[in-house]
Amino acid sequence: MAHEKLHVPLSFEEIMQRHEREIMRYLLRVSGDREDAADLFQETWLRAYGAYPRLEPESKVRPWLYAIATNLCRNRARDGARRARVIVSDNEESLAGNTIGRHHRSFDENEGYAAVHVRDLISDLPTKQRQALQLRYFAGLGYREIAVAMGCSADSARANVSQAMRKLKEMW
Amino acid sequence: MKSMNIEKLIGSIGNELEDEVVEALLHRFRGSVDKALKRIRRPQAAVGIVKSPLGDLLVATSPRGVVLNHYVHDDNEMAAIIAKLRLEFDPVEDQRAVREVGEEVRRYLAGDARALRQNVDLTLAGRSFQKKVLHKLQAVPRGAVISYRALGAAAGAPNGARAVGNALHDNPVPIYVPCHRVISSDGRIGGYGGGASRKLQLLRSEGFEVDNAAMRIPDSVVWGHKGTKIYCRRNCRTTAHVDRARILFFADPGQAQRAGMRPCKICRPA
Repeated sequence: MAHEKLHVPLSFEEIMQRHEREIMRYLLRVSGDREDAADLFQETWLRAYGAYPRLEPESKVRPWLYAIATNLCRNRARDGARRARVIVSDNEESLAGNTIGRHHRSFDENEGYAAVHVRDLISDLPTKQRQALQLRYFAGLGYREIAVAMGCSADSARANVSQAMRKLKEMW
Repeated sequence: MKSMNIEKLIGSIGNELEDEVVEALLHRFRGSVDKALKRIRRPQAAVGIVKSPLGDLLVATSPRGVVLNHYVHDDNEMAAIIAKLRLEFDPVEDQRAVREVGEEVRRYLAGDARALRQNVDLTLAGRSFQKKVLHKLQAVPRGAVISYRALGAAAGAPNGARAVGNALHDNPVPIYVPCHRVISSDGRIGGYGGGASRKLQLLRSEGFEVDNAAMRIPDSVVWGHKGTKIYCRRNCRTTAHVDRARILFFADPGQAQRAGMRPCKICRPA
């Protein structure tokens, strides 16, 4: 009987350290608003902490975190809060304002408008297609990870993304 | 605009977010996340495996005391126990922090009656009945045993012998909370979560001469009454009609004396 190996899961701090950047980035892209993203960021980690003991030690943390973040974004959108705004048009003062401003000026006017337009189109997509698209293009998740995050099969994740893409192209 | 590749465009949304921007936002909001988390934090528990004469033990300790002390059977069971621990604590693997528990158990089995010095943290004893049973059990001293029935009566369930058995089976901190000191009211040793042989080993180290074949406490034990604080031989005429729910069995008269009891004047056990 050798039981030298204990399977104590990663501490929550470690998980936060590993994933806080990508989660913040994802929330910024999805919400398009810094204050919203900050709220969602906090809420995501609080929920994740509460649910962490119930996450099976073998399951993947990344899609699980994105599932929480995605559901929170959906709830916020459903609760009719705010309409998505584009980050580049956000002139709010903040620590990082200068950096974004500089980029903004160098942005082609048309491109800025196109981004707003695309964001509007995305927010009009059916929920599942929108989520799958955001997880694919904003978070860079693979279809299998999207499947875990959305609780569906990898095939239907792929289908959702491609249907979303087709619709966007039609509406464009 | 039509000509623009929409896939590229979607991919580029938020691309102007350079690393420093995300970093600055994180820097700004990390503090408030930590503050909010602090309010719902579970306490930390050091977890490790220690060796003891009773085999490997999976041990967890919190700042309040020993949370978990479990005989290790197989890895699946260990995973299930850690999963249960995680609902109440944030486990951190720390062999050094739990080593002392193994040392104490070793010294205890070698006969050092005061070896078990650490406090017990009964957070994992979920139900209130279980808490009550374990709490009452802690009052049973070394060198004495109590019956399931009597322990049930002490915990407010005079007919709850089996319920006591279940509560003890899930005892998160065996040895420290002495569930090995609970036996059938007819004198048989009864079962043990870690296996009857471990129970025997523990009882022997506490002074009971238990026969391997009979699996009963010996007839030489004395019966101590919790109310009158008098102890008798097993065949004293007073024991025939005594309320067994109030009896503790002591390995020898000396142990009863140490528990603050006096010998019966009829059977003169001392």
